Amino acid sequence: MPDTECKISDADRLVLSAVMDLIVPPVDDLPGAGEMGLAGNAEELAGRIADYGEALHRVLEALSLDPSARAEGGFVALEEDQRIAALTALESSMPKYFDKFVDLIYIVYYSDERVHRHIGWRSGPLQPLGWELPPFDPSILETVSRREPFWRKA
Amino acid sequence: MSTTITHPPTDILVLGSGASGAAVAWRLSNRGFNIVCLEQGRWIKPEEYPNEHADWEIQARTNWAFDPNVRGLDEDYPINVDESPIDPLMFNAVGGSTIHWTAHTPRFHPSDFRVKTLDGVADDWPLTYDELEPFYDTYDELMGCSGINGDPANPPRKERPMPPLPIGPDGERIAKAFDRLGWHWWPSDSYVNSVPYKGRKACNNCGNTGLGCSLGAKGQTDVAIWPEAIKNGVELRTNSRVFRVDTDENGRATGASYYDAEGNENFQPAKAVVLAMNGIGTPRIMLNSASEVYPDGLCNSSGLLGKNLMFHTYAMVSGLFQDDLKTYKGALANMILCQEFYETDQSKAFVRGYTYQVARSSGPISTACGHMFGRVPWGAEHHAQFARRFSDVTVVGVIGEDLPEEHNRVELDPDLTDSNGIPAPKVYYELSTNSRKQLDDAIENAEKVLHEAGAAQILATPFLKVAGWHLMGTARMGDDPKASVVDRWGQAHDADNVFIVDGSVFVTCAAVNPTPTIGALALRTADYIDRERSDLKS
Repeated sequence: MPDTECKISDADRLVLSAVMDLIVPPVDDLPGAGEMGLAGNAEELAGRIADYGEALHRVLEALSLDPSARAEGGFVALEEDQRIAALTALESSMPKYFDKFVDLIYIVYYSDERVHRHIGWRSGPLQPLGWELPPFDPSILETVSRREPFWRKA
Repeated sequence: MSTTITHPPTDILVLGSGASGAAVAWRLSNRGFNIVCLEQGRWIKPEEYPNEHADWEIQARTNWAFDPNVRGLDEDYPINVDESPIDPLMFNAVGGSTIHWTAHTPRFHPSDFRVKTLDGVADDWPLTYDELEPFYDTYDELMGCSGINGDPANPPRKERPMPPLPIGPDGERIAKAFDRLGWHWWPSDSYVNSVPYKGRKACNNCGNTGLGCSLGAKGQTDVAIWPEAIKNGVELRTNSRVFRVDTDENGRATGASYYDAEGNENFQPAKAVVLAMNGIGTPRIMLNSASEVYPDGLCNSSGLLGKNLMFHTYAMVSGLFQDDLKTYKGALANMILCQEFYETDQSKAFVRGYTYQVARSSGPISTACGHMFGRVPWGAEHHAQFARRFSDVTVVGVIGEDLPEEHNRVELDPDLTDSNGIPAPKVYYELSTNSRKQLDDAIENAEKVLHEAGAAQILATPFLKVAGWHLMGTARMGDDPKASVVDRWGQAHDADNVFIVDGSVFVTCAAVNPTPTIGALALRTADYIDRERSDLKS
């Protein structure tokens, strides 16, 4: 699948958002990944990177074909336990695409600054700030240094 | 009809600008040789490195992935891994895989050069640790080694140029556990600056040494060696993809043919060719250089070119702690190592041994998607599981000594090619029973130390697939031309002006990261050329 071609329909976008809420559900004051409005971010990343695009399309297509989702209202109208069952079935039947799809959801979720605040992670690039650590203290070597050399002579 | 662009001849043509190619170019340019180096990648500017960007974790999984098959950049070549449970990893740019490495730099032990004599397996090297030691020292100084003397598991050696990197509270926690068990540990040697060194800054513990260091604090050859080599007069030609080492009717090298960035065919004549393209790239191009004189590939009268491929076998055992030590702070895999189980133990069901390389955790995306162990589950358990795995994890990585076996090999794929149409390599590899037993033993002992350190939960990844960092053995050295591709100096048995200086020449691979040994061997070969081959100098 060529990059930049990952358009999904409005209906699929609703399904994607509902699925994202199940993959990463609400926690404390944060809503689920779908309700946070991250479906568009997933779509955008899937459009940039072919593997994610293919996984997204395969999962949405499979969900649309799931017998339980053919009922009126489709996947979004199912009860939560039915939705989870549908996803669990996909995880078993198409693990390669499902795994990549879950990675996609995790990537957009854990790229979000609201999530970073919640987990205590500093957003932004690692440089130039880096992290502070105390310098090496040789006193930690006291025990191991007492050991006689044991490297094998050859 | 295309026309080949032919360049003025040079003394020494080096193929590849990574750990070994840079070292040879530097050393020989210091001794007055004219050098051209061909590199298929390009210079990477510090501001391009992912650590300078907020989406660094996404880049680490896509355009900056360790795996060239995932990265898929123009300068990469694909690798067929259908017959390998381990994915080979490498980087193609000025600096080669030193751009991408974590720069953990232990040395081989003296015993590693004598495994046939000591343990009755594989073969001895045609040289000793003592012969290599001064070259280790020089390479340490070139790249910048942080570490400390006094390690009881290794011979005494010259003082490292810099003190150790901080091991942090997480390092101290696991070190004390090793102490309580009476097991060896020592601060890791690393080519990462613990203090400013030769005009390069000190590491600021950002964590992801594997993504290129925009500070210049990591020993990458693009910053540690190339500036001086270029000052010496070396011409480093980038975007130059070699497809053949050319030879005359006597089988001696005449130079190399390559494609430039525009796809033009070029020929660089030289008095000698030094191959430094890693343990897969070098046999690939040598196999692709078959000719009337060399029907089975360049300098392959032994039939061993491409064979005896060794990876280090890896397992990861992770301890999940509840002390909130923020274990993502500090160089990822440059904390401490343990060599308690390095040598053959007659009471065990396997030969040779393993090193533990203790590592840290990483950012939130890596944690969620699976850093050193599996992905965090989705659904109701997700947040609780993520919290356990995120900010206080210590990983005991197992590096097992992989023994050479001829059926583990590199061949040319009959169909797959790179973007210039050059045949891609296909890797055949089977995990040996010996390696599996080593890893199982290592996992059991790693669990003991993590338990001793107070881990609340321990997760083991019994075999790591994305682990082919170390590519070795595919053009082994030896004294017998029937049983090796190059001699003790890295000179091909079949042609006295073809040299190999990368991990291809390894006879065995020890149980440590290979780069200091690769660098030391390359410098030793360069000294040999300078000392014995004045015929190669204009």
